[in-house]
Amino acid sequence: MGAGREVSISLDGVRDKNVMQLKKLNTALFPVRYNDKYYADALASGDFTKLAYYSDICVGSIACRLEKKEGGGLRVYIMTLGVLAPYRGLGIGTKLLNHVIDLCSKQNISEMYLHVQTNNEDAISFYKKFGFEITDTIQNYYTNITPPDCYLLTKFITETKN
Amino acid sequence: MGASLPPKEANLFKLIVKSYESKQYKKGLKAADTILKKFPDHGETLSMKGLTLNCMDRKSEAYELVRLGLKNDLKSHVCWHVYGLLYRSDREYREAIKCYRNALRIDPDNIEILRDLSLLQAQMRDLTGFVETRQKLLSLKPNHRMNWIGFAVAHHLNSDGSKAVEILEAYEGTLDDDYPPDNERCEHGEMLLYKISLLEECGSLERAIEELRKKESKIVDKLTYKEQEVSLLVKLGRHEEGAELYKALLSINPDNYRYYEGLQKCVGLHAENGLSSSDIDQLDALYKSLGQQYTWSSAVKRIPLDFLQGEKFHEAVDNYIRPLLTKGVPSLFSDLSPLYDHPGKADILEKLILELEHSLRISGGYPGRAEKEPPSTLMWTLFFLAQHYDRRGQYDVALSKIDEAIEHTPTVIDLYSVKSRILKHAGDSAAAATLADEARCMDLADRYINSECVKRMLQADQVASAEKTAVLFTKDGDQHNNLHDMQCMWYELASGESYFRQGDLGRALKKFLAVEKHYADITEDQFDFHSYCLRKMTLRAYVAMLKFQDRLHSHAYFHKAAAGAIRCYIKLFDSPSKSMAEEEEEMSKLPPSQRKKMRQKQKKAEARAKKEAEVRNEESSASNVSKSGKRHVKPVDPDPNGEKLLQVEDPLLEATKYLKLLQKHSPNSLETHLLSFEVNMRKKKILLALQAVKQLLRLDAENPDSHRCLVRFFHKVGTMTAPVTDTEKLVWSVLEAERPFISQLHEKNLTEANKIFFEKHKGSLMHRAAVAEMLFVLEPNKKREAIKLIEDSTNNPAPINGALGPVKEWKLKDCIAVHKLLGAVLDDPDAALRWKVRCAQYFPCSTYFEGERSSAMPNSVYSQIAKKPENGDSSHPEGGNIADFVTSNGKLEAFKDLTV
Repeated sequence: MGAGREVSISLDGVRDKNVMQLKKLNTALFPVRYNDKYYADALASGDFTKLAYYSDICVGSIACRLEKKEGGGLRVYIMTLGVLAPYRGLGIGTKLLNHVIDLCSKQNISEMYLHVQTNNEDAISFYKKFGFEITDTIQNYYTNITPPDCYLLTKFITETKN
Repeated sequence: MGASLPPKEANLFKLIVKSYESKQYKKGLKAADTILKKFPDHGETLSMKGLTLNCMDRKSEAYELVRLGLKNDLKSHVCWHVYGLLYRSDREYREAIKCYRNALRIDPDNIEILRDLSLLQAQMRDLTGFVETRQKLLSLKPNHRMNWIGFAVAHHLNSDGSKAVEILEAYEGTLDDDYPPDNERCEHGEMLLYKISLLEECGSLERAIEELRKKESKIVDKLTYKEQEVSLLVKLGRHEEGAELYKALLSINPDNYRYYEGLQKCVGLHAENGLSSSDIDQLDALYKSLGQQYTWSSAVKRIPLDFLQGEKFHEAVDNYIRPLLTKGVPSLFSDLSPLYDHPGKADILEKLILELEHSLRISGGYPGRAEKEPPSTLMWTLFFLAQHYDRRGQYDVALSKIDEAIEHTPTVIDLYSVKSRILKHAGDSAAAATLADEARCMDLADRYINSECVKRMLQADQVASAEKTAVLFTKDGDQHNNLHDMQCMWYELASGESYFRQGDLGRALKKFLAVEKHYADITEDQFDFHSYCLRKMTLRAYVAMLKFQDRLHSHAYFHKAAAGAIRCYIKLFDSPSKSMAEEEEEMSKLPPSQRKKMRQKQKKAEARAKKEAEVRNEESSASNVSKSGKRHVKPVDPDPNGEKLLQVEDPLLEATKYLKLLQKHSPNSLETHLLSFEVNMRKKKILLALQAVKQLLRLDAENPDSHRCLVRFFHKVGTMTAPVTDTEKLVWSVLEAERPFISQLHEKNLTEANKIFFEKHKGSLMHRAAVAEMLFVLEPNKKREAIKLIEDSTNNPAPINGALGPVKEWKLKDCIAVHKLLGAVLDDPDAALRWKVRCAQYFPCSTYFEGERSSAMPNSVYSQIAKKPENGDSSHPEGGNIADFVTSNGKLEAFKDLTV
């Protein structure tokens, strides 16, 4: 029955009442323990940080930080984007990323960027699909994993309508 | 009123009454004082002044004045009425009734007093009195609808339904044909439905249905109309019409179980009479056709699982479960759990779900289906399996299933709640509390998981954190009293039980008595409805409410609270708290300098406490005066820790109060009579103890505790000295007469009876323990033998459908009781230790037995919570850094970051 039917995917904001969901996801997804600043930034970013729900289960998230650019204006730094392993390949990551890209263009934010480990080819090709480009390589960015280097991926958003 | 006074004062008196009614108490008081200056002995004025003061929270003065007023004017109905009102305000209804009666003797037709009296009589269930008063009211004011209805209800309550019907019909006779007007239609319809339910109750079924149909147009509540009609049809044996009507009702609500039940009865396929296999086939066909009609109904799919067997059950439950696992219904297991009491169904379920699990793992879909399931289906399947194995007592499998589910999707809160429950069942309350707290942190806005966490904390005796967690959801935030005001009984019971376990009898009693108080309040709360319901004509609901109130104290929470309080009092009696004298004695043992210091300290503390109390009282009285008449600030609890409760003079007398309520309202509970036995043995009330023993034998003679009481009783009686006084002789003769009727002791002494009991229940641990304990009571020199009896018990695998399953028979709770018996009663620490080591193997998660997987052990997973180093900060906060270890959700290492 349900298998044939589309399961609804919805997004919800992060608040202090449910921030533990984001922590649970990060614990499961990333080999890193994030500090309080990460969560404070995520909460402060408002709509730029979202949890993704697969029917009623929280299975993924995108967490961003809004940064002031030199010379005014904002840019978006994607701190984390991840979906629980069993729920990958269902378009949930795409939905999360598209949400943030849409939000950027609505608010006339022209730049978003993120770090990714140099050997993480899946992630790199995923972001390239959305128009991200490698703009820099940082040596020895990571301390405990190999390779320790990362790429800087950036997407410049040209104003679509105005 | 106010007669015998000159006109000026008489007017002032009227002003007092008016001020009282409009709650302007200060004004009334002033007027009263003016009269009293001239006529200091005027009885009615004194009374009214007292009544006014009563509303200003000056109770003792109030009683003094009202009594003085009455003394000065015994012939005044006002004085008696006021006295009654005073008693009523203090909930002393019996006394109040007496006062009203006296007032009516002087002024028999006073409607106000009659009405007040009738309310009290309804409240106190003085039913004959209630009928009388209602009759009087009707004869005085026959044009009031309420008086007719009140008279009818009074007769109904007094078990004269047909009289009630007559009265209602007489009342209808007074109405015009076009009655009711539009704004009275609901009330009138309710009255008619009440009348018809009365006819049904009296067995006048034909008349009832005739009347119902005749008045159809005047009955507003169409659903109740149909339900009443079908109930009458069934009772009249008109099953075909009944079946049709039930089908019509089902089309209104196809999820109402009672309609299905009724329909089954009408077509002669009710489980009550036992179902043959052809019956089952017919039922199956019936539900299949109903299912096609009501595709959205879940009841129509669920009910067949109750009656289907074997292969058909397998097929039906398979069809039932699949879509719900796909959808993700967290309550699926609770929905199906009644099936575990049906022989064989649990095995079918286990096999089925394991097949689904296997297929989901291999192909991602259900067996025989090409379609892939959503990824969550596997997680819900594991979730179900965990609860399944928990229910079957296979805690290790249950834990591995739930851990796998958490690994799969660590964000589902229900998974953590279930893991917490499994751990509790396995005997690790501390770990269960930690898991429940983890669940709570995942949604801080969910009251249910918050409450569940509080419960687990209390089960783990973490009262302080439980309190802190509970108040997160109370209105007043820090005010923990708010839980009492909300009558949060599960909390009070769980916290009372925790205090009891920890030996804090004062606080335990405080909580148990709080629950008892709620029940008194609930009884009290019906008072307002006696007048309200008659006025609003909600008569069926009113009578149902009264019936509910009559059996209120048989409710499980009351039972628990009363039993808890009685246990506290028994313990208090056995080991009384330190008296003043003893404290003095201890003090005198200290060196003089220290003694002086102690005294000073005590005095200071007392003074401080007194001052604080005064300040608080002042505050509350100040706010009282300012808005007198309005709801006033509650006085501060002078005994928050229940210390005063511990200082009762006679704990057993207190216990008896609650025991009586249990005996009256829970006469079929073994526990009631066990407690009665314990209390009365201590009170040396031999015959009452005998009564308890007889009740125990009546309820369950084979119960180990019944056996214990029987043996202990006659052993005790056997050691008593020969009777001297007449009373003793009388008691003796009763015992002589009763003993032959107890078959267990027929021509046997106690040792023999104990042996026979043993032979009968050789295979059961708890029976063996009881026999061992009694052996030791009867022959203390046979202690070794008693211990051997226990240690020789074998923990056999529990049979499941004739085959031996993976779970052993002994229950954790029982093994703990046996351990306590070995240690505390048989007083053999070595045997207790041996028992503990043995049980630690049976219950590896038990903290009590320090099983190797329990959080009590230093190297278990659960004890590592506190030891992991904090490593949250890293040089690259945004995803650059690899931490030293990978945490996994729900495995308790992750706990330290739960403090949100």
